[in-house]
Amino acid sequence: MFNALTGLTQKTGNFPGVTVDKKSGYTNINNQQIEVVDLPGTYSLNPEAEDERVAANTIKNINDDELIIVVADVTNLKRNLFLCTQIIDLGKPVVLVLNMMDLLQKSNQRINLDKISALLQIPVVPVNARIKKGINELKEIVSKYQFKKASFSSNKLTPSERYEKITTVISACLQGGEANRWINRTKKIDNILTHKIYGYLIFLSILFVIFQAIFSWSAYPMELIEEGFAMLGGLVESWMPKGVLSDLIVNGILAGLSGIVVFVPQIALLFAFITILEDTGYMSRVSFLMDRLLRPFGLNGKSIIPLISSIACAVPAIMSTRSINNLKERLITIMVAPLISCSARIPVYTLLIALVIPAEQQVGIFNLQGIVMMGLYLIGFLAALFAALIFKWILKSKGKTNFIMEMPIYRLPKWSNIGFSVYNKVKVFLFEAGKIIIAISIVLWGLSSYGPGDTFEKIEEKYASPAFENEDENEINTLIASEKLEASYAAYLGKTIEPLIKPIGFDWKIGISLVTSFAAREVFVGTMATLYSVGDEDNTTSIREKMLQAKNPETGDRLYNRATTFSLLIFYAFAMQCMATLAVVYRETKSYKWPIIQVVYMGALAYVSSWIVYTIFS
Amino acid sequence: MTLDELKENESAQIVQILDEQLEESMLNMGFIVGEDVKLDRIAPLKDPILITSGLNYISIRKEDAKKILIEKNNAN
Repeated sequence: MFNALTGLTQKTGNFPGVTVDKKSGYTNINNQQIEVVDLPGTYSLNPEAEDERVAANTIKNINDDELIIVVADVTNLKRNLFLCTQIIDLGKPVVLVLNMMDLLQKSNQRINLDKISALLQIPVVPVNARIKKGINELKEIVSKYQFKKASFSSNKLTPSERYEKITTVISACLQGGEANRWINRTKKIDNILTHKIYGYLIFLSILFVIFQAIFSWSAYPMELIEEGFAMLGGLVESWMPKGVLSDLIVNGILAGLSGIVVFVPQIALLFAFITILEDTGYMSRVSFLMDRLLRPFGLNGKSIIPLISSIACAVPAIMSTRSINNLKERLITIMVAPLISCSARIPVYTLLIALVIPAEQQVGIFNLQGIVMMGLYLIGFLAALFAALIFKWILKSKGKTNFIMEMPIYRLPKWSNIGFSVYNKVKVFLFEAGKIIIAISIVLWGLSSYGPGDTFEKIEEKYASPAFENEDENEINTLIASEKLEASYAAYLGKTIEPLIKPIGFDWKIGISLVTSFAAREVFVGTMATLYSVGDEDNTTSIREKMLQAKNPETGDRLYNRATTFSLLIFYAFAMQCMATLAVVYRETKSYKWPIIQVVYMGALAYVSSWIVYTIFS
Repeated sequence: MTLDELKENESAQIVQILDEQLEESMLNMGFIVGEDVKLDRIAPLKDPILITSGLNYISIRKEDAKKILIEKNNAN
């Protein structure tokens, strides 16, 4: 509805908790800019959860020059008019919008709009927000609107009396057809989707399909992007005069950028799947199936929605916890959600898994890389449950808990909504994360291309001496490059923290990546790409190939062997490396305490687990 | 009897809700004392349950269902 009015692409879904904060935009009515504020959904003016509180408080404080548009689902008018008449009785200016008119027609029901408008004493507009039908009519009514105090009931009604009065209004205005059609169809679908056995099987299958899709379907476009960037790098090198600038563009910016763009197909697929699950109404059923399982961990069935959306990104997930009305359950959900592997880990996982597990390896019909990937998500989920259990013991319980949740009727996903969501997330990923990544790539390129004092000149002098005259030129260039990198500022930085991370199998190059990816996990790949590109004159090999060739200077074995790679994978699965998440945790908990606890406990968990993994495999 | 004692697909009339806060939550969801309620489905792990009243379709835990007094319809 909000999107239809403002032309914005705010995410919507088929259950409460998708919109949890006020969002505003502008619409143009008769060449006048009108501000439109979208409020979180609420069932009444007596809020029970944080998101409903936001809505109720805003409504109560509205001025006479503002106008409240109540968007009511016409397939369940009775409950929707409850809120609407409460607002009318507050003496606030209201326009009632009846949404989902298409469903009403399909169930052969007829509604008398003039009558309902007369009985409620407010303007009523029928719309179908999905196909933007009725939006112009709404704009016209808003432009002509003149506030005249209406009252639905003269005296203060008890809720039951209010419902009774609403029922008489509805029976006078809504006739014929089968009002139960949609809910009956929904229940038939629920017979399968919440079935004792099939229910869980279907849920697991859906998750499995998502992981296989992310891994195998996206392989082809990813390869294309990788090859495209390698070509572009070669082109720039052949066009531009050799020098610092060409080096900066190819080894600094392009290397960092390709490490990011290549993951767009996977992230797009992931967000498409999550949006479909939300749009159809299936997420509420997953909550229903999971409530009993999550309760022993101090969580609520409603926690599953943030936990599943954390697969995409912890930031919106933590915001969506506002629909959990018990404070303790909400806090636990916030604290453990970042342990669920998010889309920013995909680049890291993909790169590292490919180093130790051959792409062609199959287990039955499944790709082994995909299975390892799913295993990492499973580990993240188990760790989240374990952490929840500990928080449940530590935290004091406040207030009652319940699991009263609406089961929305099933609707087909709205494809444009999926398109918007995918487009928005990819945009944020590319531009927001991309900005940080390019900045860090440039700084890194600088740090790794220059060293303190005259160390670099000395290295060049050393290899220019007659002792190396007969050696192969390419070999010498490689030797110079690697010695230079080891003497660079970046190496100093990495080597400072090397003693700390050596026990878990990391060298100074990984150390630098750990520092840079504290801003965001996906920076790891860009950092690796930059570090391994410096000194690679031809720049034709991918970052994966370069890392495969990397040797441990002490033993001469492959640096990224199983032990180090698995240790690194576990570290990235558990460590709290995301500034954006910490910021949103601070905002939602309104205290520094919780984000700090989060960094410390996740860091400790990551370090200890990595050490265990490294010790086992080496 | 209480709401949690119903079997799947059984209906009854809501007589009283023993918890004030719960009564308000139920009202917000469209569940009103005096109206019919049907138990649609019990979750695979026996808890929570899905219930309907009119066009309102929600889930609720058994713990809360225990606080909802009902009277079985003779028609069933």
